[in-house]
Amino acid sequence: MKKTTLVLLLFFCAMGTMLAQRTITGTVTDNAGEALIGASVIVKSSENVGTTTDIDGSYSLEVPAGLTVLIYSYTGYGTEEMTLGASNILNVSLEEGVLVGEVVVTALGIERESKDLGYSVAKIDSDELVRARETNIVNALQGKVTGVQVSNSGGNLGGSSKIVIRGVNSLAGRNNPLWVIDGVPFNNAQNSGIDRISGNRDFANGASVVNPDDIESISVLKGAAATALYGSRAAAGAILVTTKSGKGNKNGNPRVEINSSYRQDRLLVTPDYQQEYAMGSQFKYDSSSVGFDWGPKIVGQNVRSLPVTGESGPLTAVDDNGINDFFGTGNTFINNFAISDGNEKMNYRLSLGALNQTGVVPGSSLDRYTISLKSGVKHSDKLRSDFGVQFIKTDSEGTAAAGANDPNIIGYSSFSSTLDQNLFKPWIDEELGTQINQLTPTSNNPFWIRNENRNDRDDSRLLTNFSTTYTPIENLNFTARVGYDFDQDNRFFSNRKGTAQRIVGDFTINKFNRTQFNIDVIGNYKMDINDDLKFNILGGFNYNKRKFSSENLASSDLLVAELFSPGNAATNVATRGFTEQVLFGAYTSIDLGYKDYLNLTLTGRNDWSSTLPIDNNSYFYPSASLAFVFSDALDLTSNVFSYGKLRASFAQVGNDTGPYQLDFNFFPAASASGQYSLGVNFPFDGRLAFAKANTIPPENLLPERQNSFEVGAELKFFDYKLGLDVAYFATRNNDQILRLPIPESTGFGFLRTNVGQVNTSGIEFSINATPISTKMFQWNTAVNFSSAKTEVVELTEGVERIQLASAFTSVSVQAVEGGGIELFATPFLRDSLTNRPIINPSTGERQAGELKSFGSVLPDFSMGFINNFSIGDFNLSCTIDWRSGGVMKSSTVENLQNGGLVQETTQNREGTFIDKEGVLLNPDGTTRDNDIPLASAQAFWSSLDNNGVSEASIFDASFVKLREIAISYNLPKSLLANAKISGLSIGLEARNVALIWSKVPHIDPETNLFGSGLDGFGVERSNISSTRSVGVNLKLTF
Amino acid sequence: MKFLKIFSLILFVGVLVTSCEKALDINTNPLVATSADPNAVLPFVFVQYSNRHTSELGTRMMDVPQHIGSCFNSPRGGNTGSTITGNTWGMYYTQVLGNLALVEADALAAGTTSNNIAAIAKIFKAKSFFELSSIWGDIPFRQALDGVQFPTPEFDTQEEVFNGVLTILDEAIALIDAMPAEVADVSIGDLIYGGDMDKWRRWANSLKLRVLMLLRNKSTAVDNEITKVLSEPMIEDNSQAALIRYADNASEANSWARLITNFFGGTNEAAGVYSPSTVSYDLFNQNDDPRFGVMIFDPNGNGGSDIAEAVFGAPGSKAHVSNNVVRNDMPHNMFLPSEISLYRAELALLGVSSDDAQAEFEKGLRQNCEYWGGDIPGATATIATADIDNFISNIGTVDLQKVHEQLYLESFFRPVIAWNTVRRTKVPDMLAVPGTAISTILKRFNYAPDEVSSNPNTPTNLPTDTPMWFEN
Repeated sequence: MKKTTLVLLLFFCAMGTMLAQRTITGTVTDNAGEALIGASVIVKSSENVGTTTDIDGSYSLEVPAGLTVLIYSYTGYGTEEMTLGASNILNVSLEEGVLVGEVVVTALGIERESKDLGYSVAKIDSDELVRARETNIVNALQGKVTGVQVSNSGGNLGGSSKIVIRGVNSLAGRNNPLWVIDGVPFNNAQNSGIDRISGNRDFANGASVVNPDDIESISVLKGAAATALYGSRAAAGAILVTTKSGKGNKNGNPRVEINSSYRQDRLLVTPDYQQEYAMGSQFKYDSSSVGFDWGPKIVGQNVRSLPVTGESGPLTAVDDNGINDFFGTGNTFINNFAISDGNEKMNYRLSLGALNQTGVVPGSSLDRYTISLKSGVKHSDKLRSDFGVQFIKTDSEGTAAAGANDPNIIGYSSFSSTLDQNLFKPWIDEELGTQINQLTPTSNNPFWIRNENRNDRDDSRLLTNFSTTYTPIENLNFTARVGYDFDQDNRFFSNRKGTAQRIVGDFTINKFNRTQFNIDVIGNYKMDINDDLKFNILGGFNYNKRKFSSENLASSDLLVAELFSPGNAATNVATRGFTEQVLFGAYTSIDLGYKDYLNLTLTGRNDWSSTLPIDNNSYFYPSASLAFVFSDALDLTSNVFSYGKLRASFAQVGNDTGPYQLDFNFFPAASASGQYSLGVNFPFDGRLAFAKANTIPPENLLPERQNSFEVGAELKFFDYKLGLDVAYFATRNNDQILRLPIPESTGFGFLRTNVGQVNTSGIEFSINATPISTKMFQWNTAVNFSSAKTEVVELTEGVERIQLASAFTSVSVQAVEGGGIELFATPFLRDSLTNRPIINPSTGERQAGELKSFGSVLPDFSMGFINNFSIGDFNLSCTIDWRSGGVMKSSTVENLQNGGLVQETTQNREGTFIDKEGVLLNPDGTTRDNDIPLASAQAFWSSLDNNGVSEASIFDASFVKLREIAISYNLPKSLLANAKISGLSIGLEARNVALIWSKVPHIDPETNLFGSGLDGFGVERSNISSTRSVGVNLKLTF
Repeated sequence: MKFLKIFSLILFVGVLVTSCEKALDINTNPLVATSADPNAVLPFVFVQYSNRHTSELGTRMMDVPQHIGSCFNSPRGGNTGSTITGNTWGMYYTQVLGNLALVEADALAAGTTSNNIAAIAKIFKAKSFFELSSIWGDIPFRQALDGVQFPTPEFDTQEEVFNGVLTILDEAIALIDAMPAEVADVSIGDLIYGGDMDKWRRWANSLKLRVLMLLRNKSTAVDNEITKVLSEPMIEDNSQAALIRYADNASEANSWARLITNFFGGTNEAAGVYSPSTVSYDLFNQNDDPRFGVMIFDPNGNGGSDIAEAVFGAPGSKAHVSNNVVRNDMPHNMFLPSEISLYRAELALLGVSSDDAQAEFEKGLRQNCEYWGGDIPGATATIATADIDNFISNIGTVDLQKVHEQLYLESFFRPVIAWNTVRRTKVPDMLAVPGTAISTILKRFNYAPDEVSSNPNTPTNLPTDTPMWFEN
């Protein structure tokens, strides 16, 4: 601690001095004079000072005093070093195909040439993120970065998305990467207010608020060596967002950018409903049996009571079970306005963004407004300051519920062949305020659910950062960076009085407040020992404080409908939550470079965490990485082979745990729980109540230890037109701090302790190619592949598997010793020899077997295919994702089949139904083909999930999706010159375009019941399908 | 000057290091307590037990012993699922027994002045283990509730559990016997008897007899034990009934009634959620049983609901349980004196005791009629003494069949005890369950999935129509 505080002291002292520097502007072009977009410009001897060129190839860069050389580089082009003269304008032309000099942002915001890195960093530039803008930035990374797996929770507006880098290696759910914006960590947490099993309301993950229009680039740091300077919080990788800085036009005017999109959203996948048989059971029509279409064949027969109306009339099928009469067309407007300017002294960029959506689910909408301001001031040649503020206001209404045990859930199995959704309108007696047009008095009108019951969120987010850099001498600089992340997340749910299952009316208010305060103080010294040997040392100190508080009120039994005041409710249950944690870190990094082709980086960091036992709260972790550009060292370059680099890294990372997990506590109980949300509240008969915690606290808890290792190669061929990047990585995670499920017969449900070992290993590669490149036509293509395998090597004595997430019936996600992260469920009882289901001879039905694993919920591999075609001023790009492997349980499919709602259930519906796949056991233990008829096809389909069996609805979750298509046309500048417009682009864009191939019927296999906060991959229940989004885009630059 | 700078530097660093250590010392949750008074823990135990019992077992399985025609989400067809098994298992072991173990340990450590608290904890623990075994058969018992020594508790047989329960009850009674004059005040925490240890002793003895009746079903070797306990004070009057009292308000209402309020609105008579099966209906509807009038609502003589029909929430189609029974402030009755009197009658008929079987039988009937007809807290209807006299006169001479039938009716709205009676006595005859996957009525639950996955000692689940050990 003392060393770090000394460093801190030095830095703070140094901040007091102010000196001058200069701003250099200019353009970077190729030999033909064409602008190079995204070319890197960095200051020699101070590589953390740099920028990239914009759409015109222009740049503007503040150069610290005393530094006079700039380095220009661009992928596939040579590097130029230019010495500054008297002029502040410097235009540079780069030679094609000489050397790779791409600059990427690494940990702590340090920009480095990618050739010097001994670990894997993926960079995504601004134009890739805004090509077809995503409303959740996490989804924009899908398919574009190797080793990254993104999953979302469906088509809810403002829903969450989860990102995992290089597979799952924490059993405690710490698989979310650290998000950093302009050098400051910010939270990507998801506040989950309601139990996912009993009615899930999925709201966005914290990072979703980042406006794609404000992003300059995103760096994805994958291995622990890449993230080592961030410490334990980045053990699962880090995603570094760099926002755009201010710059002016060449003519001296401010630069104005307008980017507008309008898109229409429709459900991507809807079930293949059958239209032949009516609602009912055993061929008997029943107008109340919604979602259960085992009634008679629909032949236009007259029935006494049609659904909802109760009138007599002919029975007719409704197209697509009326699903399109219920789910509508969503509209998405994305507008962004940005103005920026810059000169020698200062620069700024002000951006205003608006996202306005109405969802496919009736009554759902989302409005998000973003104001961001980023500015830099050059106080002197030696001192500059930068600050950024982003305020994001998100209001959403009518988010759909998923899961079970909530009257507000409307899934694909809530529709029937003979039920016209239009009959449900109107849904309310406007005078009395009562529910009308119900199917039965005890079921809800779906439009009542959507329009009268509220599920609203009002989120205010403030992300701020301030940094100042002092450069007292040429090779030495100090940076202090302060960031504050504030989130106020207010939610409101209500069930209007008269809602079946919640007749008395209720409302719930959740107020979540989450803050993070972060300080980094960094000193950096660079020295060229001689012409061949370069040396860089960095030292820093980190302080991080995170707070979370919640205030919740659940009120029910309203006297006056729609009056949401505690005084209007017969019961009010108020609860609070609070956590606080502090982390101190001290770190250093040493870079040694030899002859521009060999680079060794060594790092070390020590953290002190408030969440660990006082005597054991310190942990140190080192990393080492080596980059070797062998093509330069061995002079191997030729017309065929352009560039070759090998890299290797090792890192050890420690990890702490959550706050307040060391003591045994009694919690004040606000209520006693019951089935069907039937709670009884305290005080009860005037008595307050306390209950013990359900987790046994740990003894002698140790920090987690993670060792990771990576080797890789980057190869370029044919004048950089073909590139290959390949990596192998392996991670060993020991002493995981886990809330270990223990037998409840011990009196407790969990024990917090260090357990076991999880290994993750995998390979990833990406191929980039420019097969055709002419003045008029260019084709860029990229393929990325990643495969990560998680192996649970050891748990703890006597424990063979640990439940990570439980779902419904027998379904759970478990970590299995000797296996991986697997889906457990009850299968059919099968004959061991033939593996065919053993039929119950008295019923003809299948039977339940013993609980078993159905395999990993994680994919075997995922691939992304990206193609970009430029024809003159036209550009076409498309992205395809392929995910292979992993299993999932779909309760929606289970309900669709169980209810006879889908096509496959019409087969042999009226004949004798024999389960031909099954076998019967002979007395001698042999088997014979099943010949026992079931009572009906209904008996077959509706018995498949008897006794908790889930096998029939467990599927291979592989899929191929056309993720993105964008076509744009840039109007020639000659046409725009008179209008004083520097750029105008119009385009067509589409997201989540098509599910090309899937093994899961009727639903989008990508949807996931568990939001971004849990590792509950592999379970779907009543999720709304993701949406296909198609629209137009206009980009205008002045 | 130089010295001053160095001194300032050292001072600054010192302050900073000290403040770092202080800043890290924040790992104490400000919203929880590190210890708790039994007067705060016991209300949680009792109310959580009762509410899970009523809302889960009550609403879902009263059709297993066929008191009710059909329940929503019932396991009666043989599939006990993960929800009812997991929630119930967790309630008993972690919320009830886990908390009681801490209360008991603290009370025993505090000395004899806390004997009353330790005894209460032991009696409720014994009751909980008895019910656990009644539902699952073999359960963790001797190695339960001690995760340090037994992280994966072994399962004991039902016979071992029942005998162990008797031992715990004897220990509790011994603690009560050894109480000093001044004991800890547990009147707030004990919302069953308000700290009245005489009533707890009666309940402990009554529970012993309940357990012994099941043990006797397998072996008459317990007859001596039975004889002994019959001479001890037991619950002999409705004022001594073991009840958890609910209130007629939304916050403290019995979940049996609250289910109707929340899901359907109105009352049970209007919503028709709980309808007596033809089995219970027909037994109530004979001999001018006055309980029929106060417990069953059947103005049109629709009769009980056939077990084959799903009549859950079908108002007016069949008879319904009356609003006098299903109401917000309906107490959760855990033990009534009528059960003891009817056991006494049965034991007299079997020659185990020399009690007057007829007198005990009539006493049991009278106690039960008086309970539902006025003694039950918050009664909205009463039964006249003359009507009880008439009923007792009509029912005639006692025999085992009649005792068993009345034990079955006596346990109305006590699903686990009613289930035990049906499985022990095979009276009354159960009707066939439509669409069932098993050959008989449900006989046992499957083990909770969390226990299965975390405890390798969990036995393989038996088919849910496998009889309990205590059955013949």
